[in-house]
Amino acid sequence: MNIIETKKLTKYYGKARGIIDVDMTVEEGEIYGFIGPNGAGKSTTIRTLLGLMKPTGGSATIFGKDITKYGPQIKQEIGYLPSEVFYYDGMKAIDLLKYSASFYQKDKKFTEKRIQELSGILDLDLSKKIDDLSYGNKKKVGIVQGLLHQPKLIILDEPTGGLDPLIQQKFFNLLKEENEKGATILFSSHILSEVQKMCDKVAIIKEGKIIKTEKISDLLENQTKRFRIETAMKADKKDFAIKGVDDLSITDNSVTFLFRGHLNDIMREIAKLDLANISIEEPDLEEIFLHYYQK
Amino acid sequence: MNVILRELKAHWKGILFWSLGMIALIGSGMAKYDAYQSTGQSINQLMAQFPKSVQIILGISGFDLTTAAGFYGLLFIYIAIMAAIHATLIGSDMIAKEERDKTSEFLFSKPISRAKAITGKLLAGFVILVIFNLVTTLSSIYMVQYFNKGASANHDILLLMAGLAFLQLIFFSVGAAVAGINKHQKSSASIATSVLLLTFILYFVINLNDKLDFLKYLSPFKYFEAHAIITNGLDPFYMVLSLIITVVLIASTYFTYSRRDLSV
Amino acid sequence: MNIFWREIKAYRKSTIIWVLVLSAITIVFLLLYPGFTKDVEATRKMLSGIPAAYRNALGLSLDNFFTIFGFLGYLFTFVLLAGAAQAMSLGTGIISKEDSGKTSDFLLSKPVTRTKVLTSKLSAALVLLAATNIFFSLASYGVARVVSTANFSAKTFFLISATLFLVQLFFWALGALFAVIIPKIKSVISVTLPTVFAFFIVSTIGAFIGNDNVRLVTPFKFYDYQYIIAHNTYEWKYVIIEAVCIAVAIVASFIIYLKKDVRAAS
Repeated sequence: MNIIETKKLTKYYGKARGIIDVDMTVEEGEIYGFIGPNGAGKSTTIRTLLGLMKPTGGSATIFGKDITKYGPQIKQEIGYLPSEVFYYDGMKAIDLLKYSASFYQKDKKFTEKRIQELSGILDLDLSKKIDDLSYGNKKKVGIVQGLLHQPKLIILDEPTGGLDPLIQQKFFNLLKEENEKGATILFSSHILSEVQKMCDKVAIIKEGKIIKTEKISDLLENQTKRFRIETAMKADKKDFAIKGVDDLSITDNSVTFLFRGHLNDIMREIAKLDLANISIEEPDLEEIFLHYYQK
Repeated sequence: MNVILRELKAHWKGILFWSLGMIALIGSGMAKYDAYQSTGQSINQLMAQFPKSVQIILGISGFDLTTAAGFYGLLFIYIAIMAAIHATLIGSDMIAKEERDKTSEFLFSKPISRAKAITGKLLAGFVILVIFNLVTTLSSIYMVQYFNKGASANHDILLLMAGLAFLQLIFFSVGAAVAGINKHQKSSASIATSVLLLTFILYFVINLNDKLDFLKYLSPFKYFEAHAIITNGLDPFYMVLSLIITVVLIASTYFTYSRRDLSV
Repeated sequence: MNIFWREIKAYRKSTIIWVLVLSAITIVFLLLYPGFTKDVEATRKMLSGIPAAYRNALGLSLDNFFTIFGFLGYLFTFVLLAGAAQAMSLGTGIISKEDSGKTSDFLLSKPVTRTKVLTSKLSAALVLLAATNIFFSLASYGVARVVSTANFSAKTFFLISATLFLVQLFFWALGALFAVIIPKIKSVISVTLPTVFAFFIVSTIGAFIGNDNVRLVTPFKFYDYQYIIAHNTYEWKYVIIEAVCIAVAIVASFIIYLKKDVRAAS
């Protein structure tokens, strides 16, 4: 079954673009990455799916149900963690979590047990007032409130900001566990490595449109790398005239380019050169967009 | 300077809204005078004979309602309460907004001292009060003249507006001082306006009973009563008292706001 | 019911403060009532010399003016003013706080309809206002009993004190409407207080020349105390006018709130 399915989902803010004709299919059990630079439309898509905003065109279903008609019913089974969390003044973490739990039909004992478990794993002090928590700890409250009802669909909008690496790792483990138990996850991010680590499939969004949907395994096969080479003698452009090379620049003895494809192919070419130095790096997302997804 | 400009820009919509509101208040108030005139003099004479308590309840004590100036004097307390609300809100908003809108980190990570930031904000607030007073003065002069058939009332109006300026200063500094000391900025405006409401109601309570006259120092609305100003001019004692209150409150704003921890 | 109880809890403290404030206003004024009655005879004499037509134009009734109810009618000017400020701030704040506190994301990603959110919030506000009125009425009834010398009808008293609730209902609905119409309310009081005072001033300036039209536009004059004292009932025309105003405001609030986009925080 498709957990999320959007058809030409469109959202305009007045005349300003939000998202245009987004077609997206998230299947059950997937961890689905949603990646793009700032302002591309990730949050707009998610907020529209959650019914925080009404679409201006197209349609979407979650669990096979139309989002505009069955919003609350659908949300029984959704956990959501926004990129920035804000909660009520004067409430303790435990009050907020209990308040959160009170919205779901799940058994009270069950959710209370989950609250204790999850906050234990994340090392969160429940007796503190939320106002007094640090940003990272507020974020933990956000994670717990998003997972405490064991949702079938977890929606995460750039969730890792403010979490230290250790907690981030624990959080990813939690997500993987939920996924193994059957939860589907929509994971929005602008950090490629994060998505590569977590996801099975990834949709790339730019300027409001989904420009590509790929399996992570394909993406890994077609890894994009930035090469920086220093050669003994000035290299010739012809040496790099193979498929997958982009953004080639040669100055004096140094060469840089992006390569996408099988690494063996390019390594064979490079091996023919008289190398002084070489570095192979992960390009940042902007670079990938610039050179592969612009057109 | 950048802080002043920023605050003025942030408040221009409010200034516009309040200006239009004051023009409407004064205009419609004086239009009432026109309607009142047509009911004839006899009611006015009759009213003058009422005991003070009755006059107070009818809201007409001490004014010659046959003249536009007298009628304007009757309106003054309402102009004053609006001015006071405005000044209080501006005063508390200027100081409270950075913490309330969670921009205090932004502002105070800049190379600016808190005292300097407050100075900028208070100056911006002062400019807004001046604009408010000017709009009120000009529209009062115009509206009263429009309906007036007798002698010019400009002198009275200018005196009243000077009194209004003192009231504005007092309540502006009340707002600022409350926000200066308060740590939970969401409640600053409510606390400051509660003080204002209290003094406003106290004004009517004092009027109702002579024995409570000693409480008059607690209500700035008593300092600048229209009929007293029209008959005797501004009382130097109250002017000095107002300035002292203002200076003390502003100083305490600097003192508390510069020393306490800001909430993020 | 969870949202309802959450809001009751969140506003419990401020409601208690409001009950105290409203009661304090009433008690302070009522304590001045005995002093006020000393002018009775002189005024009566003078008033009886005035032709009835004039007296009516001024809204003065010989019989009522110096009774405790006549005085209540006067002091209620201030009770209504403060009560209106409470009601409108509550109506606006209870809705707009999700927006200004950036908690809309949290609340609206929960499995609840927006209809339910708004219904819960508005009914919580309503219950809080009702509670305010119950405590306020009882407190001021006690004091009025003490200071009054004669002619004390409990029915008349409660008819008068219930006008507080009726006027609050109007501002509760108006507050809700403002909350959904005005984008990004950062400070509730700077929206509600000027509004309440604008109505107050219109009603007061309108009243001292006895203009009847003003009663149609300001809730502070929907309930004429002279009439209540004389007839022991409300003028139903104004009750209906108010009911219509409230219905329109609430329906409009729902329509707007249900359609509203919740934009990303900050």
